[in-house]
Amino acid sequence: MVTEEEIEQVSKLMKIDVHDHKEFVEKVHDMINFFDILDSAGVEDEEVTMSDLPLSSLREDKHIPFEDKLIEKLNNYKGSFVRAPKMV
Amino acid sequence: MTKIGLEIHCQLTKLESKLFCSCKANYRENEPNTNVCPICMGLPGTLPRLNQKAIEKATLIAMALNCSTPEKIAFFRKNYFYPDLPKNFQITQLNIYGDTSVGGTGSIMVGDKKIRITRIQLEEDPGRLIYEGSSSKNQITLVDYNRAGTPLVEIVTEPDFENPKEVREFLNILSDLLENLDVSDPSLDGAMRADANVSIEGGNKVEIKNINSFHDLEKAVHFEITRQQSLFAREISIAQETRHWDDKRKITISSRSKEEDLDYRYFLEGDIPWIKIGKDIQEKLKLEMPESISSKKERYVTKYGISNQVADVLSSDKFYSNLFDKSHTDKNAKEIANIITTDLMGLVDTTAKRENSKLQPSYLSDLADAIQSGKLTRTSAKNALYEIVKTGKELSQIISELDLGNVSDQDELLKIVKQVISEEPQAVEQARSNPQTINFLVGKVMQKTKGKADPQLTLDLLKQNIE
Amino acid sequence: MNLKISALEFVDEVKNGNISAEDFVSATIDRIKDVDEKLHAFLQVNSKAVEQAREVDKKIKSGEKVGGCFGMPISIKDNICIKHSKTTCASKMLENFVAPYDATVISKLKQQDAIFVGKANLDEFAMGLTTEFSAYGPSRNPWNTDYVPGGSSGGSAVSVSAFECIASLGSDTGGSVRNPASFCSTVGYKPTYGLISRYGLISYANSIEQIGPITRTVKDTAFLLNILAGLDPNDNTTIDNGKKDYLSGIDSGIEGKKIGIIQEMMGDGIDSSVLSATNDAISKLEGLGAVCEETSIDMVKYSVASYYTIAATEAGSNLARYDNLRYGYDFPVEGFEFNSYISKARTKFGPEVIRRMILGGFVPSSGHAGKYFLKALKVKSKLTKEVTEAFKKYDYLVAPTVPILPFKIGEKIDDPIALFLVDINTVMSNLTGIPSISVPYAISNGLPIGMQLLSKQNEDKSLLKAAHALETTVKLPEVPI
Repeated sequence: MVTEEEIEQVSKLMKIDVHDHKEFVEKVHDMINFFDILDSAGVEDEEVTMSDLPLSSLREDKHIPFEDKLIEKLNNYKGSFVRAPKMV
Repeated sequence: MTKIGLEIHCQLTKLESKLFCSCKANYRENEPNTNVCPICMGLPGTLPRLNQKAIEKATLIAMALNCSTPEKIAFFRKNYFYPDLPKNFQITQLNIYGDTSVGGTGSIMVGDKKIRITRIQLEEDPGRLIYEGSSSKNQITLVDYNRAGTPLVEIVTEPDFENPKEVREFLNILSDLLENLDVSDPSLDGAMRADANVSIEGGNKVEIKNINSFHDLEKAVHFEITRQQSLFAREISIAQETRHWDDKRKITISSRSKEEDLDYRYFLEGDIPWIKIGKDIQEKLKLEMPESISSKKERYVTKYGISNQVADVLSSDKFYSNLFDKSHTDKNAKEIANIITTDLMGLVDTTAKRENSKLQPSYLSDLADAIQSGKLTRTSAKNALYEIVKTGKELSQIISELDLGNVSDQDELLKIVKQVISEEPQAVEQARSNPQTINFLVGKVMQKTKGKADPQLTLDLLKQNIE
Repeated sequence: MNLKISALEFVDEVKNGNISAEDFVSATIDRIKDVDEKLHAFLQVNSKAVEQAREVDKKIKSGEKVGGCFGMPISIKDNICIKHSKTTCASKMLENFVAPYDATVISKLKQQDAIFVGKANLDEFAMGLTTEFSAYGPSRNPWNTDYVPGGSSGGSAVSVSAFECIASLGSDTGGSVRNPASFCSTVGYKPTYGLISRYGLISYANSIEQIGPITRTVKDTAFLLNILAGLDPNDNTTIDNGKKDYLSGIDSGIEGKKIGIIQEMMGDGIDSSVLSATNDAISKLEGLGAVCEETSIDMVKYSVASYYTIAATEAGSNLARYDNLRYGYDFPVEGFEFNSYISKARTKFGPEVIRRMILGGFVPSSGHAGKYFLKALKVKSKLTKEVTEAFKKYDYLVAPTVPILPFKIGEKIDDPIALFLVDINTVMSNLTGIPSISVPYAISNGLPIGMQLLSKQNEDKSLLKAAHALETTVKLPEVPI
């Protein structure tokens, strides 16, 4: 069961204004219900695994400057800083 | 019972490059947004490239703090939105699937007290924010990404501290230790930052963030203890919360609640496999680890008979201990230790002075020998040292240039002694009746000889001639 | 100019001087002008393509060393970065984003003198199965333009199928290369995870996706894999493939090989024509000397739920960087507070992307992670174990790529669960990291059906042999456009 309130909370978490709550809640509700099938998979004892890499194959500690003046190619740039909205 | 715990963030300023890209690790000399690349700016399609040495240095820190070091480490994403965070998540370490941070539990002695370390983790620093504009209408946040991606080691302690003094001692020991390990230069602005958590009488834990210096940390902790104690005395319960240190008003303030931001949705960083460090590499790192401060101190005291106090100063400063270790012989070790911790200290008390110093270890040794053999008086030696640090010239050259050689020729000295006696009749009278006061006359002779007179000979001659 | 040739045929023709790269690319651009208004495979066409092909011809004439592609026109899914090129991911959020660097696959192809003829349409941020979720309009299936071409690499598959280019690069997170390949009757390949560098691929679900070629023949895929595969220092998840030559020995056949038929991928809901095509394919494989038998991989039942949970979680994180502060579209920050600016700016995402991100915030959140995200990871682990077991018995696994025929544009767009289930045969390969390929197999009522083969991790070379063998048994009609 997913409530409109929960959707509202998550949309704040993900920083997206969700306008049409009802439609969203329905569709998201359906999707999450679909995921409930995971409960019957019987995988409680499984471990989460991942591949590993030896330390020696990692990048050497060297300073290599990026050639282009990156900041000039970006959006909200003025002077030498990137502009962001004010923080409250 | 007051309990204080710390979360210290230490930049690995001794690395050449950032944690996940090849931009410079030390961003301080760069114009804003010039130490950046697509990776540390979080541009679409970029992937992190882990820095091998960063893991090695973080492992050294873990070892120096007696922490367990797992054979495999993993990285996680901490998801939240902030303008200084280019990807809007931070790549950091956690111990969700067993021990996967670069350092596990450990401890360090602060005086007689054992401070337990909870864990050590490697993570990236965010960028820096500047707030522009005064009226709320025009306010804009300016972002500089030069610092984004700088390698950080986070050291978390158990709440084992009981007062701000212990905290300060610990931070000093930690700074020296990190400098000694050659992983970081703590004197650099912002290289070491710390957050604290405080609780009293078994009550709720309050976190304090936004502390910008170690000096402020002590103040903040002290303030917070006082605040909690006053609440406790009035039987008001202390809320479990995060508070901000207000630098201007020197108080802690309750942070605006950001519940929606507190869920970090941690999960494994899919772009970085688990890194296998393995026992071989751990052994190698252990062997290559620089000698610890306590080991150096022990060595100085037992091998060279240097006093505890002097050995303390010598061992806890890497510049001094390096200099000592490179310059001394068995014979002049104690003398060199003295020179360093008295006369030299004032000449090299800043980073700039140390960088500009032209003192070579061998010159220091020459100087110590000259003092021990009586070739130079202490005063002359002091002047010589000043010159050597400034010019880098050899001792013999300086001695002749500045005419620092001892005045030990008896006749010459006798002339000066007689001169002083005739010039200071009152002092001579005093010296006859009260032998202690003869030092005034010795001082006068020293003045006239610019400190080059042999002190013992001067004293003898004076004694002989006042009668 | 005959555009209906394979990549290898093109290379031969150019090498032998029968055609020039410039003429072929020019004819390709004409073809695009002809058909793309209807098909909408491309978001951008490279206006300098012919000029660049001319340069390749010059190199050939002067005897200079020429790259193995000889000026071959290739389309690139618009979530792969080409330096100085707009890369939009078919989203309004990246409307004005110009990539300042080349993806590794692009650098490699540039070195081999390939020509990038345009950026191909996709579902927004690669989230979808039909290319209907593109913010710039859907692409259409060249076999019947009322039908979806599949997705998310729809534009890529359409461009290859309709002869608007010789080959394409797409990306496959849950079937996004194989699905449109099947729907458009082309070859679509998802390599072993880590075989091709993801540097420059704009991430959707980074722990399970790969860039994959879409080509006319299996040999063409092997040809491209030779160029693209290998360790990349820019991508820590790439693996060392020992510089294998994927073309050599590709016709050695499948005599004596054992093939498992995945029962869970032929269950209820499979279209009858797909079922009969699959049975036919199985008999063809046996005719080639393989031994086929039914096998069960239980976790397949939970693989779609696991996939979407994991993919949504990673997407929610991978797309967090699109806050419109450094790049994006025109929306000034003045007068806004941080949280409200970001939340408003991000409403430019399409509805499917927003849905996935809400999911992606929900399923790993502290109240729900144990029930959904963690369980999904455990299903992934168990599935991997089951697949490893299966490959102790079998050399390959087989199943239809998609259990249903292509459907009409607009038919399933409002039913997310129905769409999810289209993925049931393809997500397993992404979750476990094993390689898989869709080979065009049949046409039923004018609509294509693809057959999927899978092999053990790192057995890409062997898989291509099996796919090529199956391909030799197929003779398909020409695309009616």
